Amino acid sequence: MRPPTRNAVPSLKNFIATVVSMTPKPGLVAWVLHRLTGLFLVLYLVLHTLGLRSMSDPVAFEKYVTMYRQPLFKFAEFLLLGVVAYHAFNGIRIILQDMFLRSGSERSLFYLVLLLTAIVTVIGGYHIIYPYFIAPLLP
Amino acid sequence: MGIHKQSFSVRIRAAGWLWQRLTGVGLVLFLALHFWVQHMPTGFLATAEEYAGIMREFGMADQRYVDAIADGAIREALPEEHVITYDKVTERLANPLWKGIDIMLLVFAALHGMNGLYNVMGDYLRSSGARRAALGGAVLLFLGVTVQGIVSIMSAGLR
Repeated sequence: MRPPTRNAVPSLKNFIATVVSMTPKPGLVAWVLHRLTGLFLVLYLVLHTLGLRSMSDPVAFEKYVTMYRQPLFKFAEFLLLGVVAYHAFNGIRIILQDMFLRSGSERSLFYLVLLLTAIVTVIGGYHIIYPYFIAPLLP
Repeated sequence: MGIHKQSFSVRIRAAGWLWQRLTGVGLVLFLALHFWVQHMPTGFLATAEEYAGIMREFGMADQRYVDAIADGAIREALPEEHVITYDKVTERLANPLWKGIDIMLLVFAALHGMNGLYNVMGDYLRSSGARRAALGGAVLLFLGVTVQGIVSIMSAGLR
Protein backbone atom coordinates (compact mmCIF):
# COMPACT_ATOMS: atom_id res chain seq x y z
CA MET A 1 0.00 0.00 0.00
CA ARG A 2 1.39 3.44 -0.94
CA PRO A 3 1.83 5.89 1.96
CA PRO A 4 -0.59 8.83 1.77
CA THR A 5 0.78 12.30 1.04
CA ARG A 6 1.27 14.74 3.92
CA ASN A 7 -2.04 16.59 3.35
CA ALA A 8 -4.12 13.44 2.78
CA VAL A 9 -7.72 13.38 4.08
CA PRO A 10 -7.84 11.90 7.62
CA SER A 11 -9.54 8.57 7.19
CA LEU A 12 -9.24 5.02 8.48
CA LYS A 13 -7.87 3.95 5.10
CA ASN A 14 -5.13 6.59 5.18
CA PHE A 15 -4.33 5.81 8.83
CA ILE A 16 -3.86 2.11 8.02
CA ALA A 17 -1.82 2.99 4.93
CA THR A 18 0.46 5.20 7.04
CA VAL A 19 0.98 2.53 9.71
CA VAL A 20 1.64 -0.19 7.13
CA SER A 21 4.10 1.98 5.20
CA MET A 22 6.18 2.76 8.31
CA THR A 23 9.44 0.83 8.38
CA PRO A 24 10.00 -0.42 11.93
CA LYS A 25 13.62 0.29 12.86
CA PRO A 26 15.33 -2.33 15.08
CA GLY A 27 16.07 0.25 17.78
CA LEU A 28 12.39 1.23 18.06
CA VAL A 29 11.16 -2.39 18.02
CA ALA A 30 13.73 -3.28 20.70
CA TRP A 31 12.55 -0.36 22.88
CA VAL A 32 8.84 -1.23 22.52
CA LEU A 33 9.46 -4.92 23.27
CA HIS A 34 11.66 -4.09 26.27
CA ARG A 35 8.92 -1.85 27.69
CA LEU A 36 6.09 -4.37 27.09
CA THR A 37 8.04 -7.35 28.49
CA GLY A 38 9.10 -5.22 31.49
CA LEU A 39 5.53 -4.19 32.31
CA PHE A 40 4.39 -7.80 31.97
CA LEU A 41 7.18 -9.01 34.29
CA VAL A 42 6.25 -6.44 36.97
CA LEU A 43 2.66 -7.72 36.86
CA TYR A 44 3.94 -11.30 37.04
CA LEU A 45 6.22 -10.46 39.99
CA VAL A 46 3.22 -9.20 42.00
CA LEU A 47 1.04 -12.23 41.09
CA HIS A 48 3.95 -14.62 41.82
CA THR A 49 4.55 -13.07 45.26
CA LEU A 50 0.86 -13.24 46.13
CA GLY A 51 0.69 -16.88 44.93
CA LEU A 52 3.62 -17.84 47.17
CA ARG A 53 1.61 -16.83 50.24
CA SER A 54 0.49 -20.48 49.95
CA MET A 55 3.97 -21.49 51.23
CA SER A 56 2.54 -21.20 54.74
CA ASP A 57 0.28 -24.23 54.12
CA PRO A 58 1.48 -27.47 52.42
CA VAL A 59 -1.98 -28.37 51.02
CA ALA A 60 -2.55 -24.85 49.65
CA PHE A 61 0.95 -24.86 48.11
CA GLU A 62 0.39 -28.21 46.39
CA LYS A 63 -2.94 -26.90 44.98
CA TYR A 64 -1.20 -23.73 43.77
CA VAL A 65 1.49 -25.75 41.97
CA THR A 66 -1.11 -28.09 40.44
CA MET A 67 -2.97 -25.08 39.00
CA TYR A 68 0.25 -23.96 37.31
CA ARG A 69 0.69 -27.50 35.88
CA GLN A 70 -2.32 -27.29 33.53
CA PRO A 71 -1.29 -27.62 29.85
CA LEU A 72 -2.21 -23.99 29.09
CA PHE A 73 -0.06 -22.78 32.00
CA LYS A 74 2.83 -24.99 30.85
CA PHE A 75 2.69 -23.25 27.48
CA ALA A 76 2.57 -19.89 29.31
CA GLU A 77 5.67 -20.97 31.30
CA PHE A 78 7.41 -21.55 27.95
CA LEU A 79 6.43 -18.03 26.83
CA LEU A 80 7.49 -16.59 30.20
CA LEU A 81 11.00 -17.95 29.60
CA GLY A 82 11.00 -16.18 26.22
CA VAL A 83 9.88 -12.90 27.82
CA VAL A 84 12.55 -13.09 30.54
CA ALA A 85 15.27 -14.12 28.04
CA TYR A 86 14.42 -11.23 25.70
CA HIS A 87 14.36 -8.65 28.52
CA ALA A 88 17.69 -9.98 29.86
CA PHE A 89 19.55 -10.11 26.53
CA ASN A 90 18.18 -6.75 25.38
CA GLY A 91 19.08 -5.26 28.76
CA ILE A 92 22.66 -6.50 28.33
CA ARG A 93 22.66 -4.95 24.84
CA ILE A 94 21.54 -1.59 26.30
CA ILE A 95 24.33 -1.68 28.92
CA LEU A 96 26.95 -2.59 26.30
CA GLN A 97 25.83 0.23 24.01
CA ASP A 98 25.69 2.76 26.86
CA MET A 99 29.15 1.90 28.11
CA PHE A 100 31.24 0.81 25.16
CA LEU A 101 29.62 0.82 21.76
CA ARG A 102 27.49 3.97 21.48
CA SER A 103 25.07 3.90 18.55
CA GLY A 104 25.55 2.40 15.12
CA SER A 105 25.72 -1.22 16.21
CA GLU A 106 22.13 -1.54 17.47
CA ARG A 107 20.85 -3.23 14.31
CA SER A 108 23.21 -6.22 14.32
CA LEU A 109 23.15 -6.45 18.13
CA PHE A 110 19.33 -6.50 18.13
CA TYR A 111 19.32 -9.44 15.71
CA LEU A 112 21.84 -11.15 18.01
CA VAL A 113 19.46 -10.51 20.95
CA LEU A 114 16.58 -12.14 19.03
CA LEU A 115 18.76 -15.11 18.09
CA LEU A 116 19.98 -15.70 21.66
CA THR A 117 16.41 -15.32 22.98
CA ALA A 118 15.17 -17.94 20.51
CA ILE A 119 18.00 -20.36 21.39
CA VAL A 120 17.50 -20.08 25.18
CA THR A 121 13.71 -20.30 24.87
CA VAL A 122 13.76 -23.39 22.67
CA ILE A 123 16.42 -25.25 24.69
CA GLY A 124 15.05 -24.35 28.15
CA GLY A 125 11.42 -24.44 27.04
CA TYR A 126 11.82 -27.92 25.56
CA HIS A 127 12.22 -29.37 29.07
CA ILE A 128 9.16 -27.45 30.31
CA ILE A 129 6.72 -28.65 27.65
CA TYR A 130 8.25 -32.10 27.06
CA PRO A 131 5.94 -34.20 29.33
CA TYR A 132 2.84 -32.31 28.12
CA PHE A 133 3.26 -31.66 24.41
CA ILE A 134 6.22 -33.67 23.11
CA ALA A 135 6.20 -37.05 24.93
CA PRO A 136 2.54 -37.79 23.92
CA LEU A 137 3.52 -37.35 20.24
CA LEU A 138 6.37 -39.86 20.44
CA PRO A 139 5.68 -43.48 19.43
CA MET B 1 25.13 24.71 36.71
CA GLY B 2 28.54 23.08 37.09
CA ILE B 3 28.90 19.39 36.55
CA HIS B 4 29.79 18.83 40.22
CA LYS B 5 26.74 20.70 41.54
CA GLN B 6 23.74 18.90 40.11
CA SER B 7 20.36 19.30 41.78
CA PHE B 8 19.06 16.63 44.12
CA SER B 9 16.43 15.35 41.64
CA VAL B 10 19.03 15.05 38.86
CA ARG B 11 21.33 13.04 41.12
CA ILE B 12 18.39 10.83 42.20
CA ARG B 13 17.56 10.11 38.56
CA ALA B 14 21.20 9.35 37.74
CA ALA B 15 21.31 6.96 40.72
CA GLY B 16 18.12 5.29 39.43
CA TRP B 17 19.68 4.87 35.99
CA LEU B 18 22.83 3.28 37.45
CA TRP B 19 20.84 1.18 39.91
CA GLN B 20 18.64 -0.20 37.11
CA ARG B 21 21.77 -1.46 35.35
CA LEU B 22 23.38 -2.96 38.48
CA THR B 23 20.19 -4.77 39.55
CA GLY B 24 19.65 -5.85 35.92
CA VAL B 25 23.03 -7.59 35.76
CA GLY B 26 22.39 -9.19 39.17
CA LEU B 27 18.98 -10.41 38.03
CA VAL B 28 20.43 -12.13 34.96
CA LEU B 29 22.57 -14.26 37.29
CA PHE B 30 19.89 -14.83 39.97
CA LEU B 31 17.19 -15.67 37.40
CA ALA B 32 19.44 -18.11 35.55
CA LEU B 33 19.94 -19.94 38.86
CA HIS B 34 16.23 -19.64 39.76
CA PHE B 35 15.26 -21.08 36.39
CA TRP B 36 17.70 -23.96 36.71
CA VAL B 37 16.41 -24.84 40.20
CA GLN B 38 12.63 -24.41 39.73
CA HIS B 39 11.99 -25.13 36.05
CA MET B 40 14.58 -27.66 34.86
CA PRO B 41 14.46 -31.43 35.55
CA THR B 42 16.98 -31.51 38.42
CA GLY B 43 16.97 -32.99 41.93
CA PHE B 44 15.40 -29.77 43.24
CA LEU B 45 12.07 -31.01 41.81
CA ALA B 46 10.24 -34.29 42.47
CA THR B 47 10.24 -36.96 39.75
CA ALA B 48 6.89 -38.56 38.84
CA GLU B 49 7.75 -41.53 41.09
CA GLU B 50 8.79 -39.30 44.00
CA TYR B 51 5.63 -37.23 43.62
CA ALA B 52 3.46 -40.36 43.72
CA GLY B 53 5.20 -41.26 47.00
CA ILE B 54 4.68 -37.76 48.39
CA MET B 55 0.97 -37.91 47.49
CA ARG B 56 0.55 -41.27 49.25
CA GLU B 57 2.42 -40.22 52.37
CA PHE B 58 0.82 -36.80 52.68
CA GLY B 59 -2.64 -38.24 51.97
CA MET B 60 -2.41 -40.31 55.15
CA ALA B 61 -1.56 -37.26 57.27
CA ASP B 62 -4.15 -34.70 56.14
CA GLN B 63 -7.80 -35.18 55.14
CA ARG B 64 -7.74 -31.86 53.21
CA TYR B 65 -5.06 -33.39 51.00
CA VAL B 66 -7.25 -36.45 50.28
CA ASP B 67 -10.18 -34.16 49.39
CA ALA B 68 -8.00 -32.01 47.11
CA ILE B 69 -6.82 -35.11 45.23
CA ALA B 70 -10.44 -36.30 44.85
CA ASP B 71 -11.41 -32.85 43.48
CA GLY B 72 -8.51 -32.83 41.03
CA ALA B 73 -7.07 -29.76 42.80
CA ILE B 74 -3.91 -31.82 43.38
CA ARG B 75 -2.98 -34.01 40.42
CA GLU B 76 -0.42 -36.81 39.92
CA ALA B 77 2.59 -36.17 37.67
CA LEU B 78 2.74 -37.18 34.01
CA PRO B 79 5.46 -39.67 33.01
CA GLU B 80 8.87 -37.92 33.12
CA GLU B 81 7.31 -34.73 34.52
CA HIS B 82 9.28 -32.95 37.27
CA VAL B 83 7.09 -31.27 39.87
CA ILE B 84 7.70 -28.36 42.25
CA THR B 85 6.57 -29.64 45.63
CA TYR B 86 6.36 -28.33 49.19
CA ASP B 87 8.81 -30.93 50.50
CA LYS B 88 11.50 -30.15 47.92
CA VAL B 89 11.15 -26.36 48.28
CA THR B 90 11.27 -26.37 52.08
CA GLU B 91 14.18 -28.84 52.02
CA ARG B 92 16.14 -26.40 49.82
CA LEU B 93 15.10 -23.35 51.89
CA ALA B 94 16.21 -25.08 55.11
CA ASN B 95 19.70 -24.03 53.97
CA PRO B 96 20.31 -20.39 55.08
CA LEU B 97 22.43 -19.80 51.96
CA TRP B 98 19.43 -20.60 49.73
CA LYS B 99 17.21 -18.38 51.89
CA GLY B 100 19.72 -15.55 51.34
CA ILE B 101 19.90 -16.18 47.59
CA ASP B 102 16.10 -16.19 47.23
CA ILE B 103 15.77 -12.99 49.30
CA MET B 104 18.41 -11.30 47.13
CA LEU B 105 16.50 -12.40 44.00
CA LEU B 106 13.28 -11.02 45.49
CA VAL B 107 14.77 -7.66 46.51
CA PHE B 108 16.61 -7.18 43.20
CA ALA B 109 13.46 -8.07 41.21
CA ALA B 110 11.28 -5.73 43.29
CA LEU B 111 13.80 -2.84 43.03
CA HIS B 112 14.35 -3.32 39.30
CA GLY B 113 10.66 -3.87 38.54
CA MET B 114 9.26 -0.96 40.54
CA ASN B 115 12.02 1.45 39.41
CA GLY B 116 11.28 0.40 35.82
CA LEU B 117 7.55 0.87 36.37
CA TYR B 118 8.19 4.36 37.77
CA ASN B 119 10.39 5.21 34.76
CA VAL B 120 7.66 4.08 32.33
CA MET B 121 4.95 6.03 34.15
CA GLY B 122 7.24 9.09 34.26
CA ASP B 123 7.38 9.08 30.45
CA TYR B 124 3.62 9.71 30.26
CA LEU B 125 2.96 11.86 33.35
CA ARG B 126 3.57 15.62 33.09
CA SER B 127 2.34 17.18 36.34
CA SER B 128 4.49 16.94 39.44
CA GLY B 129 1.47 15.74 41.45
CA ALA B 130 0.90 12.79 39.15
CA ARG B 131 4.62 11.99 39.22
CA ARG B 132 4.63 12.05 43.03
CA ALA B 133 1.59 9.75 43.08
CA ALA B 134 3.37 7.36 40.68
CA LEU B 135 6.48 7.38 42.87
CA GLY B 136 4.37 6.73 45.96
CA GLY B 137 2.59 3.83 44.21
CA ALA B 138 5.88 2.29 43.06
CA VAL B 139 7.39 2.57 46.56
CA LEU B 140 4.29 0.99 48.13
CA LEU B 141 4.34 -1.88 45.59
CA PHE B 142 8.07 -2.38 46.26
CA LEU B 143 7.49 -2.55 50.02
CA GLY B 144 4.44 -4.83 49.65
CA VAL B 145 6.19 -7.33 47.37
CA THR B 146 9.41 -7.31 49.42
CA VAL B 147 7.78 -7.71 52.85
CA GLN B 148 5.31 -10.38 51.68
CA GLY B 149 8.06 -12.26 49.82
CA ILE B 150 10.48 -12.24 52.77
CA VAL B 151 7.70 -13.45 55.10
CA SER B 152 7.00 -16.36 52.69
CA ILE B 153 10.68 -17.29 52.37
CA MET B 154 11.47 -17.05 56.10
CA SER B 155 8.35 -18.98 57.16
CA ALA B 156 8.86 -21.81 54.62
CA GLY B 157 8.86 -25.18 56.39
CA LEU B 158 7.76 -23.86 59.77
CA ARG B 159 4.56 -25.90 59.48
